[in-house]
Amino acid sequence: MAHLTDGTLRRKFDEPDSLTESENRHYSACAECQSRYATLADDARVVAGALAVPAINVDVASALSRVRSAPAQPRFGIRLPIYRPTSRPVMGMLAAATVVFALVVTAVAQGVFFQPQTVQVVPVSVADLQSLSGLGDFGTFAWTTKPTPQLVASATEAATVSGLHVPAATVPSTVTANTSYAAMPAAVGKFTFDAAKAQAAAAKAGKTLPKMPAGMDGSTLTVTVGPAVIEIYGNLGAGAGTDASQLTLPQLVVGASSAPVVTSSGVSTQEFENYMLSLPGVSPKLAAAIRAVKDPSTTLPIPIPIEYATPTNVTVQDVTGVAVGDNTGLGAGVIWIKGGTVYGVAGTLKQDAILEIANGLK
Amino acid sequence: MGANFEVASTAGRRNGAVTSNEESFEALFSAEYGRVTGIANRVLADPYEAEDVAQEVFVDFNRLHSATAPYAAAWLYRAAAHKALNRVRGRRRREKRELSQAADESSHTMDPQQMLEVNEDRRSVRQALARLAPKPATVLVLRASGLSYAEVAQALGVGIGQIGTLLRRAEAALRKEVIHGASN
Repeated sequence: MAHLTDGTLRRKFDEPDSLTESENRHYSACAECQSRYATLADDARVVAGALAVPAINVDVASALSRVRSAPAQPRFGIRLPIYRPTSRPVMGMLAAATVVFALVVTAVAQGVFFQPQTVQVVPVSVADLQSLSGLGDFGTFAWTTKPTPQLVASATEAATVSGLHVPAATVPSTVTANTSYAAMPAAVGKFTFDAAKAQAAAAKAGKTLPKMPAGMDGSTLTVTVGPAVIEIYGNLGAGAGTDASQLTLPQLVVGASSAPVVTSSGVSTQEFENYMLSLPGVSPKLAAAIRAVKDPSTTLPIPIPIEYATPTNVTVQDVTGVAVGDNTGLGAGVIWIKGGTVYGVAGTLKQDAILEIANGLK
Repeated sequence: MGANFEVASTAGRRNGAVTSNEESFEALFSAEYGRVTGIANRVLADPYEAEDVAQEVFVDFNRLHSATAPYAAAWLYRAAAHKALNRVRGRRRREKRELSQAADESSHTMDPQQMLEVNEDRRSVRQALARLAPKPATVLVLRASGLSYAEVAQALGVGIGQIGTLLRRAEAALRKEVIHGASN
């Protein structure tokens, strides 16, 4: 019979009766297994001694009362920066990016699902982003199923919360082994266009909007995002780690999310696209870039601020992805879609290293 | 439909669901607080900070999960180990207290020769532990805290058959890390 494994021998140290009869016979006759056992038993004893601590007595009732009086915290284990009121520039960028996103995805036929299978860059300038109105200027947005991102203790729990397979990454030795996981079930939001609100916001900004096409006022976009999982390499703050104000930039982030699904109602595709592209904030260059997206129903547009990042098309996991190398050399990222899932890897590493991690995801 | 659900949950809360949740949490707390604190203390070697960590773990758990969740204990054990390891990684201010405690107890809980072979300084052992990858560090802490192979496996989300191998590797790695740390 083959030699006993280290795991079997180690268990024998804790539970001497754990060996089967044949394992016992082999062990009794095998000098090599006995020698390995002696070595690992010595390690086990030394480590047990090194980790020994005096027993402590706890006052459970007092501890419970301290926990009960802990200040109320938000329901989510983590408050993402985008939800913080102080992150207005980020919120503005997000709103602008959402408009670009909406410009493209709503080019699908009325009521048809948007189910992207590939990604494509839509280059935008900072001026584009600044001149675009926030989505809130065109109507109202409300979550019907709120996003509930939460920090979880393990990949297993992340998989339970999200229902997704958590991609396993092989990372270089320079990346910290300190990992955290966040997960989010699917969230659904509904945006309802409001012609009066759009006109009022434009008038306040001294602009004149083209008239909304008939049927657009009151029509809705229903957007489903997630579920999603994120694996974060790096410290999320030395304290409780649940307060966004304590977050430090992670070294590497690996994420997976079901591709977003969008349905639209009440307005024809052509009318809507024409209207959105004729808005005062949309430059002819941006409009041309959006119109250049070949198949909007299956393409996820990635708005990239061209002053800050250089996008390149890359092959990752045998599909086309978009890689961004930060021109400052401070970081890189790649995003791709495979099998209905959007994957992303980003971090403060060179683009080659990011691509290697992306290609090695399992 | 969303509105109906909201009404139903509000009614549930008013009719005693809160009491029931609080009772479940209290039962969980009473059953597991000692063990969770013990796990944190195993890493920190500081009873006061260990209680701090344990209470944070319960607050986090209560915010995110139901006390009746089948994975409650496993979640608490693992979170206690992780949070305590993170504290060791982030802080170095326990040196003096640890050194005095180590001197006080080594005479009756450890073989002096073995202790010499690893390191006489408990602080360096904890820092070596915190330098290990999360999984081996956690398996060592949980097993040293008296969890069975089955409980450690559940907390780590791995099969029970892997625990012996993980322990073996983690012990070898810790011993190496301590020696490496001491030689630097």
